[in-house]
Amino acid sequence: MKSVKVTINGRLYEREVAEHKTLLRFLRDDLGLTGTKEGCGAGECGACMIIMNGVSVNSCMVLAAEANGAEIETVEGVGTNDELSALQDSFHRHHAVQCGFCTPGMIMTATDLLRRTPHPSREEIKDGIEGNFCRCTGYEQIIEAIEDVAGTEDSHA
Amino acid sequence: MLEDTPAAELKQVGQETLRIDSKIKVTGQAEYVSDMEMSGMLHARVKTSPFARAKIRSIDTSKAEALSGVRAVVIGTELDYKLGLYVVDKDILAKTEVRHYGEAVAAVAADTLEIAEKAVGLIEVDYEELTPVLHPLEAIKEDAPRVHPDLGNYSYMEAAFSPQPGTNIANITRLRKGDIEKGFEESEWIVEREYTNPSVQHVPMETHVAIVQWGHDNKITIWSSAQSPFTVRNLFCNAFKLPHGNVRVIVPYVGGGFGGKAGVGIEPLVAVLSKKAGGRPVKLTATREQEFSLLPCRSQLTYRIKTGVSTEGKILAQEMIMYWDSGAYADYAVNVTRASGYSAGGPYEIPNAKVDSYTIYTNKPYGTAYRGFGHVEFFWGLERHMDLISEIVGQDPLEFRKLNALKPGSITLTGEKITENHGSVSKCLDAVANSIGYGTLTEKEKAREKKTGMKIGKAVASLHKAPAMPSFTATTVVVKMNEDGTVIANLSLIDYGQGTYTSIAQIIAERLRCPAEKVKVAFETDTDRDPYDWQTVASKGLILSGNAAILAADDLLEKAYADAAQVLRANTRDLDHDGDKIFVKHHKESFVTFKQLAIGYAYPNGNAIGGQLIGVGRYIAQGLSNLDKETGQGLPALDWTYGAHGMIIEINEETGEYNVLKVTSSYDVGKVINPDAVRGQSIGGMVQGLGTATCEGYIYDERGRLLNPSFTDNKIPTARDIPLEIETIPIETPQLDGPYGARGVAEHSMIGVAAALGNAIQHATGARLMHMPLRYEDVWRALQNKEPVDNWITKSPYGSCRSTPEL
Amino acid sequence: MLHEFSYIEPGSLSELLEFLAKYGPESAVFSGGTDLLISIRAGLEKPVYVVDLKKVPELQELNFGSKSGLSIGAAVNVNRVVEHEAVQSHYRILEIAGRELATFQLRNRATVIGNIVTASPCGDMSSPLLCLDAEVELLSASGSRSMLLKEFITGVKKTQIKPEEIVSKITVPTTFMDAAGGYEKLKRIKGHDLGVVAVTMIKTKKTMRVAVSSAAPTPVLLPDFVLDTPVAEIQKVAQAAISPIDDVRCTKEYRRFMVDIYIRRLLEEVQHERGAA
Repeated sequence: MKSVKVTINGRLYEREVAEHKTLLRFLRDDLGLTGTKEGCGAGECGACMIIMNGVSVNSCMVLAAEANGAEIETVEGVGTNDELSALQDSFHRHHAVQCGFCTPGMIMTATDLLRRTPHPSREEIKDGIEGNFCRCTGYEQIIEAIEDVAGTEDSHA
Repeated sequence: MLEDTPAAELKQVGQETLRIDSKIKVTGQAEYVSDMEMSGMLHARVKTSPFARAKIRSIDTSKAEALSGVRAVVIGTELDYKLGLYVVDKDILAKTEVRHYGEAVAAVAADTLEIAEKAVGLIEVDYEELTPVLHPLEAIKEDAPRVHPDLGNYSYMEAAFSPQPGTNIANITRLRKGDIEKGFEESEWIVEREYTNPSVQHVPMETHVAIVQWGHDNKITIWSSAQSPFTVRNLFCNAFKLPHGNVRVIVPYVGGGFGGKAGVGIEPLVAVLSKKAGGRPVKLTATREQEFSLLPCRSQLTYRIKTGVSTEGKILAQEMIMYWDSGAYADYAVNVTRASGYSAGGPYEIPNAKVDSYTIYTNKPYGTAYRGFGHVEFFWGLERHMDLISEIVGQDPLEFRKLNALKPGSITLTGEKITENHGSVSKCLDAVANSIGYGTLTEKEKAREKKTGMKIGKAVASLHKAPAMPSFTATTVVVKMNEDGTVIANLSLIDYGQGTYTSIAQIIAERLRCPAEKVKVAFETDTDRDPYDWQTVASKGLILSGNAAILAADDLLEKAYADAAQVLRANTRDLDHDGDKIFVKHHKESFVTFKQLAIGYAYPNGNAIGGQLIGVGRYIAQGLSNLDKETGQGLPALDWTYGAHGMIIEINEETGEYNVLKVTSSYDVGKVINPDAVRGQSIGGMVQGLGTATCEGYIYDERGRLLNPSFTDNKIPTARDIPLEIETIPIETPQLDGPYGARGVAEHSMIGVAAALGNAIQHATGARLMHMPLRYEDVWRALQNKEPVDNWITKSPYGSCRSTPEL
Repeated sequence: MLHEFSYIEPGSLSELLEFLAKYGPESAVFSGGTDLLISIRAGLEKPVYVVDLKKVPELQELNFGSKSGLSIGAAVNVNRVVEHEAVQSHYRILEIAGRELATFQLRNRATVIGNIVTASPCGDMSSPLLCLDAEVELLSASGSRSMLLKEFITGVKKTQIKPEEIVSKITVPTTFMDAAGGYEKLKRIKGHDLGVVAVTMIKTKKTMRVAVSSAAPTPVLLPDFVLDTPVAEIQKVAQAAISPIDDVRCTKEYRRFMVDIYIRRLLEEVQHERGAA
């Protein structure tokens, strides 16, 4: 076991964590932050995307022990309980959600993308979210939702 | 139609309405079974077979049982239950013989996932590997090993299916119409081809997961990521011979299904673990790898079509033989065979037809329902066939289709007469053809060809599908009014992403004449509390539950009117309502609000009347009949949704590399209830169809071991894989018995995509593709007239490039 | 789920090397984890210790000097390399190939050296680094040794590394600085995928180099070509040097075919950049 002190969505958590535990399972099983999903456990699908120290990473590919001292953002910290973030609201308005299982990871990826590239082109959006599988929507309405926030939407809406 | 609101007066139906479940999903607050924890909950892991076919000589679980923290270990021979939807052929765990790679042979419940995993590793299974039968065309031979030697002793649904004891045939569906021999004799051309597609995975983002508590006195609670809570309950009770009231199934938010979660899955296995662990709740989450082989897939198909065409280009006769690979168990595959059998000719008028559709057992992971229910697979062949025929008879493929399309007066394969109200495939074909600029290249496109050196191809494919369901399929919706006059609707149709609940809310709001926000459709379905629904499959959800919702809202209104008539001392016929109140038509100032009536009306003196306003709407499919087993004649279809895809691609003729430039989809949906939801289903299914068309498929070695059970070697489309341009064009020919005229469209969006792609490639290059998917290499081989790669049972050595370990 | 191991997080190079001197055979060195954690999850590797390199400052170094060339530390992730100014201006082939490696988010974790040490025939970084004559530095408590990448990778997932060693850095000499170049990779989808077969080509004022991956047990660097070598000649040499297999991803026939196509495309591409070198 390792002692881990980690700031998640602005709150400090101190826990003893099994050393082989992934950050994904630490968030979900130990802290009950189940907004972050597991789709494959192998870094392929992006359902577990979080932002760690300002960069987006697949949390199934990170050990919880590594996160000691880290600043982590998960879907639970996006927006507030009273107000959706602009991206969340745009996903809502654009029907960019179907089953919703990829949605938290997609929101985190898009949040990071727009911080790096506030006005991405359509191609930059596709490249940015290629690591997040969505089996329901066919991505189009997700791309439109991101374009809307970025102010780069074309005539699709 | 159960209602008669003129289209111009609709306030909710047809209007853009935001999804009622998207806010809870974008915040991560929607709770799926995979997120759930129960107090005292144990964690399960499964031991699966590394062989496709093997005798189980013995299983030694002693080391696993001795491991600290292990609470239950189960193996097949201790379980005496048989499972099956249509043919009861499956054990919860393999007993003396494993029938497919990845089949469950033992399972463990332990305090932690880690302990359960370790215990599974300690279970020793002594196998004697047997030669598997892998290809359906091998399995159908007389001397093939039998996957189910006891087939003759299994019970099955006799009205619809015909297993053949002593063979590997789980079902035959036969259809005969007209005089096939005469039809061929009169034909100018006869075109015969064979088309194939491999098995594929549904890939719901949430893998199968269930929590089961086998409580005291055989009272069982199941939380499951499932599409059909009542079917889970029914099959579960049948297998365990329990009264239905003993079993409670709860389905919260579900992370996708696409048919893969239509029936019963891992729930019985988790239940026996819980029982053995003394009633503690047990949770089992399938790993992504298990999702590919422990859980079912879509069946492989070999489809032979022989078509006779007249001098004028009319189809005179068509013989269709389908060989469906059921895998080790019949599950939904037998019904896929049946539904595909009666739909096999597509939306065309075929005066003389013969269909033989076989479901064949093999030693592979078993086939089940998957979006399209067989139609994606056979429409690949059928709609490629139409383009290949067109080429031979020298007609334009679009014109050839329209010439032969079903139109009012046509008789379908099963003897149903098409009317004006059936919807129109020709309108859909015209819409997509127009959208892609069919038949010509624009100046811009010509310039693009010049610049890229690639050839642009344009093509169409048509499609149809009716719900495949029992003739007596029923559903119920209950609408309950809250104290404040808002309402909650309960139903057991599951919205696992399609958006149906939002449409149901719109329909109820339309009847109550209130804003859609005043209607809550409750997620989290509970078979103890919610009314019956058969299954969430077949694109039947909106049509049946939509009708039930209308009836439920009207039932509530009827009660409200009766109460209001007393309060207002008026005849109910003189009353009318808006979203807030019921009023006297000719004295609008004389009214009573819904809020006043919601839980019973109280007079100033304390007297009270009424009670909670509650409406129940029951709806059952009307007029359907069983099909004759020899001729296939009867009425199987509640409604037919017709549609078409148009596609523009560009292709490198030297290498087979191609880009999808545009896809337009058009469906005769009867009535659009929610435009964005229709668009979402349309695009989502289209991209899933592109996945199946371009890259997906199970690859086995010669011993039947699945070589690509993960995303490393079983790719699905990403955001970079979608067409550059996407368009959706709904056509609205009202369905007379649909809610506001609506039909289902959830599956149709996937059906014709592969064929449209194959046709567009043929148009650009002349390549005659007959095998799905269309990887660049497959296209290249077709362009070079090389033999197609048949690597679905590959001769490649096991382990080459394999990225996941042996089980 | 991962089997149980101990997580070791040395804060200095000496601490790290001492640990490996003692426990090397039971240890797996870890930085991005994008290969290691997958292997552990799949049960292919069962290390007792997982030793994290990221807290060792030297291993985070990414340096460029006009004489010394580029030096990439063991814990430097692919995105840092791809986004590095010197890489973008002087070693563009590393940027081009680096951007083809997995997804942006995985590149935030995956390291260049991890991609090399894994020694997968389909690693995206190995063939460009082979072309650039990259050299690996191996460190252990008892000293260091260096060798050309070409010699370091010996087979499918096999290298010359010893259990007590780490690859501390990879250095890219100035020999091929500012070379024009390109990378062509066959994928099964347009989104992220590993290379089913891939070709790297670089060109300087004097010479051309070609490396092929996913077509032999190790990435293959072809002998140098003089400028204006006819495409058919390069293709012939490449075909003789590779030995692709049939597997679930592709047939050897199509792999060979696409290698020829890619060589032709890359030659056209670098010729357009004639002035660049």
